Amino acid sequence: MSEIALPLEQISVRRPSIAKTIMKRATPFLFLAPALLLVLFWVYRPLVETFGLSTKQWNMNPNVEPINVGLENFRYIFTHPDFLQAVLNTAIYILAMLPFSVVIPMILAIVTNNLSNRVKNIYRALFFLPMIMPPVAISAVWRWLMHPVNGLINSILIKMGFIEEGIRFLSDENMVLFSIVIIAGWKMIGFSTLMFSAGLTGIDKSYYEAASVDGHRRWKQTLSITIPLLSPTIMLMIMMSVLMTAQWTFAYIDVLTQGGPAGASTNVYYLLWTYGFKNFNSGLSAAAAVVFFIGFGLLALLFTRLTRKIAFYDN
Amino acid sequence: MKRLLTLLLAAAIAASFAGCATTNTNTQASSNGETTSGEKTEITFLTYNLSIASQKDAVQELIDTFNAQSDTVQVTGVQTDVASLQTKVQSDYVAGNTFDVVQVGLNSVDYYVENYALSAFEDIAGQEAYDQHMEGFAEKAQTLGTYTDGKTYVLPYTFSTPMLYYNKDLFEKAGLDPEQPPKTWEEVKTYGVALKDSGTEGIQITATGDGTDWLIQAMIYSNGGEVLSEDKKTILFGEQPAVDAISVWQDLVLSGAHSNYTDTEAMEAFMAGNQGMLVVSAAMESALISSSEAGGWELGAAGLPSFGDKEAVPTNSGSGLCIMSQDEEKAKAAWEFIQFVTSEEGYTIITSKMGYLPLRPAIIDDEKYLKSWAEEHPFVRTNLEQLERLHKWVGFPGLNSGQIATTLNQAVTECIFSDKDVETVMKQAQSEAQDLLPS
Repeated sequence: MSEIALPLEQISVRRPSIAKTIMKRATPFLFLAPALLLVLFWVYRPLVETFGLSTKQWNMNPNVEPINVGLENFRYIFTHPDFLQAVLNTAIYILAMLPFSVVIPMILAIVTNNLSNRVKNIYRALFFLPMIMPPVAISAVWRWLMHPVNGLINSILIKMGFIEEGIRFLSDENMVLFSIVIIAGWKMIGFSTLMFSAGLTGIDKSYYEAASVDGHRRWKQTLSITIPLLSPTIMLMIMMSVLMTAQWTFAYIDVLTQGGPAGASTNVYYLLWTYGFKNFNSGLSAAAAVVFFIGFGLLALLFTRLTRKIAFYDN
Repeated sequence: MKRLLTLLLAAAIAASFAGCATTNTNTQASSNGETTSGEKTEITFLTYNLSIASQKDAVQELIDTFNAQSDTVQVTGVQTDVASLQTKVQSDYVAGNTFDVVQVGLNSVDYYVENYALSAFEDIAGQEAYDQHMEGFAEKAQTLGTYTDGKTYVLPYTFSTPMLYYNKDLFEKAGLDPEQPPKTWEEVKTYGVALKDSGTEGIQITATGDGTDWLIQAMIYSNGGEVLSEDKKTILFGEQPAVDAISVWQDLVLSGAHSNYTDTEAMEAFMAGNQGMLVVSAAMESALISSSEAGGWELGAAGLPSFGDKEAVPTNSGSGLCIMSQDEEKAKAAWEFIQFVTSEEGYTIITSKMGYLPLRPAIIDDEKYLKSWAEEHPFVRTNLEQLERLHKWVGFPGLNSGQIATTLNQAVTECIFSDKDVETVMKQAQSEAQDLLPS
């Protein structure tokens, strides 16, 4: 990577005119301009507007003038139990999701890595399959599987004598959150396995050869070569998982539980969507969005710092 | 490996585009290919029934029949699902490009009148023509779309009341008389416990999901309560009659007579023949009948049970039609269309094929319309009887109306699926909702 970006001064022999320098410096930005403008228009403009909306009360009706309410929206969300519950739930979602987005996929990737190419590809295609299925269809299938009376999972568990009465996967308030995690996690395993596999192909084979010559067993090789060299991917996947879990679970919450029973399965994105698009209270929704933006922004910052410290790059 | 990756990624991207494509194709062209639009006034009709598989064809039939017989108006149906109905209306309104006829939930009449520029039917049609059209219309339903100024902005269209459906086979297995369905909630408890003891599930009142507050309201009204004061300034669902009603409901769950599933799960259990009783909108009736026929069990139906000797007060779930077009010619065309769908002929299609109530009740005794159908479907009479005692489905005023309904919904779910003190939870919800009312 680094040898491409040689300083310009070393290449050019004569000092170019100022106009030429500007042109030269500007060229990459001109190429980038369409993308940058799109990002500005579709990401940063709504972001700024969200900050503005968070101090208003407005039902998104063009005939209705937004009312300025100052920090009232923020006072409401911080004093309201819904908000706290959604934040707590999100924290549980994030922790419960990590095995599915990091631990299991990493094991799967490492275990299948040494298989012959053909077998490996079949396995990986199988892992990846859930990823390309539409969430709504997946929800419907899982709802049938998890049904308390008619569902396959419960009828198997009852027949095997583990339980006497069907587990209410989606209506028991202590159960529902984990049921959603299982569904969302099952879907994410494929994507993460793919990321880890890509990380594995980047590891130089000669390390293993050297270790074998030194007489190290496979599990030792995995511990002292694979995992350290995979650390950038691990950190990336942890970060993605932490920041995106609330989005990954959204579709299943919406289709299967609508945040219920009594808010037991809601999360921060579902809450702000409810405020905005079910109750048409765009001010509250924007205020919640601002809080989450700051919260997740800080988390992302923390992770990039951590990654720099922990991850080991084999250059 | 690399090639496989690219392939998979391509597949994933293609799948996501396909997803986009399907969500964008919600404009439905009239299936009736003749485009004789040269002279006809073209209007659009936004309706959520077009997105419900079991009702789609019937709505299209309504539209096509009208188009075929009208020389002056051509209607195009536009579909939306219930959940995004209002978002769609609103975003369309922003674009300055409204649908001409819009199907509106009867609880949001005030919201529509206050937020969009609607014209009253009396003004579009003229008082006399309007009165003439409303002759023979169910009396209790007539005023549901009336705003506080006394004019009708939303004309009731599809309509149903909550009913108690039960599985006669499971009743027999539990030693209960299948011809004597429970009439009061006390009886429901006895029946429910008996069903549970026989190894199946008792009752489920399907009012825990979003948008089911109409059924919660029916429970509260049946016990003599109210959710909102007459002047729309005070929330009342934390008061004693409401609290008592919810307590009875909670007791049903705690005693095991009421299953604690999500609404969808209960519905699926009932349709699979694994649930004894279900309280649900009569709009689901056709789905229940077909699943009972497929599953080989017999379906029974009764009215909403009552609290002791107080007569049960059902609310309606349902919708009306409003005219959003500002153009005079289109508004007149819309009125033509609405007259047709709410006529005897319209309700014959609506009742027999979509499962809603005939709001012109006389047609079930009329040979020309629904008489023979009603003989095969006796439940419709129970449903019509309930119409006599109907209480309006109350929508909450102001910008936070949706949030207040959600608050009520969540508080009730919290009560019935736990052993929490109902009064505390409902009082707390009441004061939260009170803060959300416009001051």
